[in-house]
Amino acid sequence: MKPNPEQYTATARTAVADPVLQKALAGLQDRFGRGTALAYQQLPEGPDLRHVAHDIRMDAIQHLDSLLDELAGNFRKNGGQVYFAQDAKDAVAYCLKVAQENNVKRVVKGKSMVTEEIRLNDALADAGIEALETDLGEYIIQLANEGPSHLIAPAVHKSKEDVGRLFTEKLGIDYTDDPPSLTRVARKALREKFLAADMGLSGCNLACAETGHITTVSNEGNIRMASTLPRIHMVFMGMERIAARLQDLDILLRLLCRGAAAQKLGTYVSHISGPASPDNLDGPEQLHLVILDNGRSKMLADPDFREMLCCIRCAACLNVCPVYGKIGGHSYGFAYSGPVGAVVTPLLIGINRAADLCQGETLCGACQNACPVNIDLPRMLLLLRAKLADGDEKWQVSRRSSLEKAAYQFWARIMQNRRTYDLAVDAAQLLQRLLPTNRGMLRFLPPPFNGWTKSRDMQPLAAETFAQWWKANQKGDAHGKR
Amino acid sequence: MASADQRAFLHNLRRALTGNAVNAPVPAGDPVDRQAGIYQRPTRVESRGREERLSLLDQVIEESGPINLKVTAHKDIQSVAMGIRRLAVESQPEWGDKKQVAAWNHPLIKALNLPEVLKETGIPVEFPIQTHAGDREKQRQWIFDAYIGITSADFCLADSATLVLKTRAGQDRSVSLVPSIHVAVIRLEQILGSLKELYFILDNDPEQVQEGLTPCLTFITGPSKTADIEATMVHGAHGPREVYLFVVTGE
Amino acid sequence: MKPKATLFIQCIVDSVFPKVGQSMVRVLDRLGVSMNYPSDQTCCGQPAFNSGYRGEARGAAKRFIEIFEDAETIVCPSGSCVSMVRNHYSDLFENDPRWLERARHVAGKTFEFSEFLVDILKVENVGASFEKRVTYHDSCHLMRGIGVSRQPRTLIANVNGIDFVEMHDADRCCGFGGAFSFKYPDISTAMLEDKVRNIEASGAGVVVGCDMGCLMNIQGMLNRKNANIKTMHIAELLDHETQS
Repeated sequence: MKPNPEQYTATARTAVADPVLQKALAGLQDRFGRGTALAYQQLPEGPDLRHVAHDIRMDAIQHLDSLLDELAGNFRKNGGQVYFAQDAKDAVAYCLKVAQENNVKRVVKGKSMVTEEIRLNDALADAGIEALETDLGEYIIQLANEGPSHLIAPAVHKSKEDVGRLFTEKLGIDYTDDPPSLTRVARKALREKFLAADMGLSGCNLACAETGHITTVSNEGNIRMASTLPRIHMVFMGMERIAARLQDLDILLRLLCRGAAAQKLGTYVSHISGPASPDNLDGPEQLHLVILDNGRSKMLADPDFREMLCCIRCAACLNVCPVYGKIGGHSYGFAYSGPVGAVVTPLLIGINRAADLCQGETLCGACQNACPVNIDLPRMLLLLRAKLADGDEKWQVSRRSSLEKAAYQFWARIMQNRRTYDLAVDAAQLLQRLLPTNRGMLRFLPPPFNGWTKSRDMQPLAAETFAQWWKANQKGDAHGKR
Repeated sequence: MASADQRAFLHNLRRALTGNAVNAPVPAGDPVDRQAGIYQRPTRVESRGREERLSLLDQVIEESGPINLKVTAHKDIQSVAMGIRRLAVESQPEWGDKKQVAAWNHPLIKALNLPEVLKETGIPVEFPIQTHAGDREKQRQWIFDAYIGITSADFCLADSATLVLKTRAGQDRSVSLVPSIHVAVIRLEQILGSLKELYFILDNDPEQVQEGLTPCLTFITGPSKTADIEATMVHGAHGPREVYLFVVTGE
Repeated sequence: MKPKATLFIQCIVDSVFPKVGQSMVRVLDRLGVSMNYPSDQTCCGQPAFNSGYRGEARGAAKRFIEIFEDAETIVCPSGSCVSMVRNHYSDLFENDPRWLERARHVAGKTFEFSEFLVDILKVENVGASFEKRVTYHDSCHLMRGIGVSRQPRTLIANVNGIDFVEMHDADRCCGFGGAFSFKYPDISTAMLEDKVRNIEASGAGVVVGCDMGCLMNIQGMLNRKNANIKTMHIAELLDHETQS
């Protein structure tokens, strides 16, 4: 899916009017948003464990160079191969090289947002390699030729009737919209693919530098299948997904699973390092780890945004965000949606391009509360807005609107003393007499405020300000300075 | 030996972290106090009495309900063998109609004496060891065609009813993954309290440290599942759709 | 000793909802709080800050600090403005130690109205009466910005004769978000529709809140729908003096 964050507003408009999507998102947030909050409460350490996790993640990011070095060393010691990929093109080229060198024709994929980010499936298809998504949600959207609309439940926007029709059309089966039956269909179809695949691709939830293992978490078992049965297993890892010590996985895995799906632990957690060996041939013959930068080092270099690298892509923020809950994942136009997408997408593909993503929310703060590592997303959204307001050289941001800048400069002038403020209020009180009313409220506001009055009335300015009332009714004023 | 791609990549990260002062010293020490406040690690490997162990087993049973894991406690290994035999007879293969069993090469599994126990049922059991490239395909195929995979485990975590399996010769990960039914047999003493305890043991018990995590350390918490269609939970996605845990309590 | 409060009446209350400020004054007066009101105050800078115009916000913030820094205690009928002062003035002055210190000093004595009553004055019952079914909306910056959610509920529950019901998702954002409601009206409206639906489902005839931005947003849609539900700031609720 080509990134198109520029379509945010237009896609959102369609999304809020789609009753199937609305029902699906409400159900998802009701189940997982609430479930996660409860799961944090039920931790033996309580929800404050998220702060400990934040420190552990931040510490790992601050030492990212040495930890990745340690990881690579240990991974290689265990018999795997490591490739450090500068960008998407680099990572894709490596994957194709290994595939071609090993005569790979069929690939099975576990869900990996990183591979969405680098658009690996398109590249494999162009090279004539069949790359089949095996996570049920990803399998569904691949059949439908769509992008994911959620990090963990990529087909959340599809009703069971949608899936039923899709399977009938693409797989030729009799129509059913019963989820267990549909799941069985996918189970059977994919089982044969797992057994026949040449290469399995997966992401990496967290790598452990100390032991050289990558970990994967899933409920379906597709990642275990993809990483066990084919003769090559290739892991794609965002460079920031690393834990320094094995013991860190206790905290991080417990929080990840609660954040992602309100679970104590996902059904399957695999710690993988090393291909099959001569005395134990079960497992792939080759194990590759591709560590990806693709713009993350720029985030690392900026102390304001370094914190974003703590993210473990669990989607807890999506599950509570009131904006995501209305507009769904496709509105964000990139692999990462919801609050995490609102910060990461601008930083990865361009702040001007993704301007709507960092301005189109209310900064309500629910995301930070839900985050298993307590990332201060609102802080970073505010910083992104500041860059759009005044431009930024380091991030190559041009000022979004000179008109808006002029308006706020004017606003600042008015607020500089009470006299200009009062004059502005007087002027507005005069102007508002021209506006139509409805039951005592203003029915229509002129642009740029008319968006409000499409669906709501506006309270008019009062006949006298509080300050005027105070002067008229209270004895003794205050000293204000100036 | 660091490759060129690695050197360039890490050099870039170093520049990013130190604000271009690449030769600056790395900050010393570990500022994150992992032992502080609300998070405390164990200080030694726990030794438990029988009562405590049985209480952990109760916890496993309690946790198993919501995740659809079937747990039964047995006085001795013979009782487990009878339970497995009953399961093999009553269960039907999901794919095709051939019944065959794949089992781990493991002392506890060997002690079940499965070939003898299953002889009358006519259900064959193999203990695949994929050491010879020559018969690797044959061994793999046996596992693929098996409707029941029987493993032991290294540990079981009580607070989430999670099985912990290392990978060794003759103790393949595919046995707990590919057959539709996964049977695990453990001893009471293998039940630990929590994930925290597990990682502590892996870090500190000399035998565990010596062996390492192995190429694949797997946690299994019940049968496979998905909720990708309208958030409806379905048990049996790509991994086993039924998981049975037999615990030998040695009463 | 009579506590003294310096009133910070934010622009939206000053110019659009002055009755909220008047109610707050009357309630504090009945509680024996002496007040002063710096009449040249204008704005804390939040609208500019939230839209990214930090320079412009800084100017307003400096003015705010100069006007209020000698106050004993500053009280404001808004969670979002108090959150701005307490949480974001440090962002505006992070590179200026002198102003940062002054900002911190002011932040340390700035309180939202319900927070002031319950936590500072230790008053949980102001002696008000209001015999209607009401529900309460948690505004985001009040609840998650400065951690105030218990205090308004305590005050409401203690109103004589009141029938207080919690609505579903009381703490879910209503879709105001300042400039957001103008710039992304379709999304804002969709969020607001959910909030209004929840208010209606609660059966309440009045929805109480501590932030007029939210209440203005909610009332706007209720009015457009010709609904009979009213919004009310907590100060106005507490101003319903019990007639003895």
